[in-house]
Amino acid sequence: MAETTVSATFDVYRFDPAVDRAARYQRYTLDLAPHTPVLTALLRIRAEVDPTLSLRYSCRSAICGSCAMQVNSKSRLACETQIGPEIARHGRIVVEPMHNQPVLRDLVVDQTPFWREYERVEPHLKLDPARPMPADRPTSMTPEQVERFKETPRCIACAACYSSCPAVEADPEFPGPMALAKLYRYVVDPRDTATRERLVGIQAGGLWLCLRCHLCTDACPKDVRPSERIRDLKELAIAAQGATEHGSRHAVGFKESIRDAGLLNEMQLVRRTYGPLGLFGQLGQGLRIWRKKPEVVRRPHRIEKAEEIEKIYAALDTGTEAPK
Amino acid sequence: MKFAYYPGCVAQESGKELDLATRWVCRALGIELVEFPSFSCCGSGFVDEANEVLNVAINARNLAIAERAGLNLLTICSTCQGMLTLANHRMTDPKVRARVDGALKPLGIEYRGTVRVTHLLRVLVEEVGLPAIRAKVRRPLAGLKVGAFYGCHLLRPTDEMGGEDGEEPHSFEDLLSAIGADPVYYRGRVMCCGFPVQFVKEATASRIAGRQIQDAKAHGAHAMATPCPLCHITLDAYQNKAEKAVGARLDMPVFHLPQLVGLALGATPEELGLSRHLVPTEAAVARVRPSGA
Repeated sequence: MAETTVSATFDVYRFDPAVDRAARYQRYTLDLAPHTPVLTALLRIRAEVDPTLSLRYSCRSAICGSCAMQVNSKSRLACETQIGPEIARHGRIVVEPMHNQPVLRDLVVDQTPFWREYERVEPHLKLDPARPMPADRPTSMTPEQVERFKETPRCIACAACYSSCPAVEADPEFPGPMALAKLYRYVVDPRDTATRERLVGIQAGGLWLCLRCHLCTDACPKDVRPSERIRDLKELAIAAQGATEHGSRHAVGFKESIRDAGLLNEMQLVRRTYGPLGLFGQLGQGLRIWRKKPEVVRRPHRIEKAEEIEKIYAALDTGTEAPK
Repeated sequence: MKFAYYPGCVAQESGKELDLATRWVCRALGIELVEFPSFSCCGSGFVDEANEVLNVAINARNLAIAERAGLNLLTICSTCQGMLTLANHRMTDPKVRARVDGALKPLGIEYRGTVRVTHLLRVLVEEVGLPAIRAKVRRPLAGLKVGAFYGCHLLRPTDEMGGEDGEEPHSFEDLLSAIGADPVYYRGRVMCCGFPVQFVKEATASRIAGRQIQDAKAHGAHAMATPCPLCHITLDAYQNKAEKAVGARLDMPVFHLPQLVGLALGATPEELGLSRHLVPTEAAVARVRPSGA
């Protein structure tokens, strides 16, 4: 008996700079089994309907990371996204190239910016030349050392995170989730000798532009959880060097603000982040807001039992304990 | 229905209208809010960046306060919701738990991990229920097209926040429909408002906020609504900067979620603190067709 099929409608982004003045969406309708991966469907379209459709792919097994694209507006690997649930949810399957990278043709993007950020974090071991790794035996790590890598070694550099990232979209100085997850992997590697240098570099190199929106963590097909490793990098950078940037000063200032009264003191925080002169720069906007919301300049009340907060800080924020 | 009410810092100070509207709506729907003056700030994601375990500990203390009273905890801020929920998750890591317990036990505080953290949006949709809300609507917001703006931490990471799909939620839109408004679907509704970098790089924050507002506007929204007072700060109080960043007039009124629910249930603009917004809301409120029309 033939397997049950569904009629699947695909609206595929098409753009060939040699002939098209603007992108368009081309509709294809195929009868397919619900478990068919989007990639298989696209390859069938190319083989049977339209040989001009361009896309990038290789392994078809969610290992190579080549076929990341936008499937119904989400950054996904086409090879592991089945059509059934997509049709059930959206009635059709809209396939578009990844965001945040220029389109070369159809679903193929120019990944130069993505790989440039990857190279910028120098994703390789930096060893002490005076203490090379032994050539005659493997080096070993303790289970605790291995645990610190978290899920970062699983990254297949598919760029789904980069495509989903609103910080990449808004600010070219942000290295992107994948590069930072890779950086984390080398920062916690016990063999690497450039830990401090890497942390100092990234503290001033866009680390604080992460919006912690967690879209990368949702998008990652390998559960690398980049947004959480970026958080780790922030804490490690402050521990290694202190707070040197607006972002880190804001985080530390916020932490201190709560120690005082248990609640946020908005004015005091602005001063801590920008310094007294920077505070002056915020005056115009502050006045605008103050007219409607006079509380912005008020000192918040002290919570009841605020001394408990101070004691928790005394136990856990001595500044001497290593982060995690 | 009774909750430990966790208003968060902003709703107690510059975002007081959110607290006003929440109390009004909860009174109207029979949700009892129990106050605890010893609740501290959740850390707003910033304390987490500086010291993760410390952040878990201050939130475990908050959760322990609700636990002692035998109550689940109600938030009215996406970021508070995210931070308190993450604390619940991180406390399941034995190493984190040991350090947190070590700091709390000497204070006579123990958190056993039994408190459910829930946001007003979820309570309205899942516990009060949309039919019950629909039955109490006195002035359906017919004719008002609203772009819901969720706030990241209410949704993601999806694995921890549970609830609904972190990239394709619909609870807020369902609620908007129940109160008679027309929800508008746009990509920006699940995106970042820019707040986390407001004090890191203002131009970037403004660009991000401007994009989301423009997106809502392009999809026909007359107003936006958010369950997060931090999103409200960037979208409303800093909208003038967003306008500069994207080079366009936006004129987008932004409501707190309970303000719109309150309007539909018959509250006056004064009772909801609508005059405290930077972008005037009158034109949006006037769009609502008189009932029976």
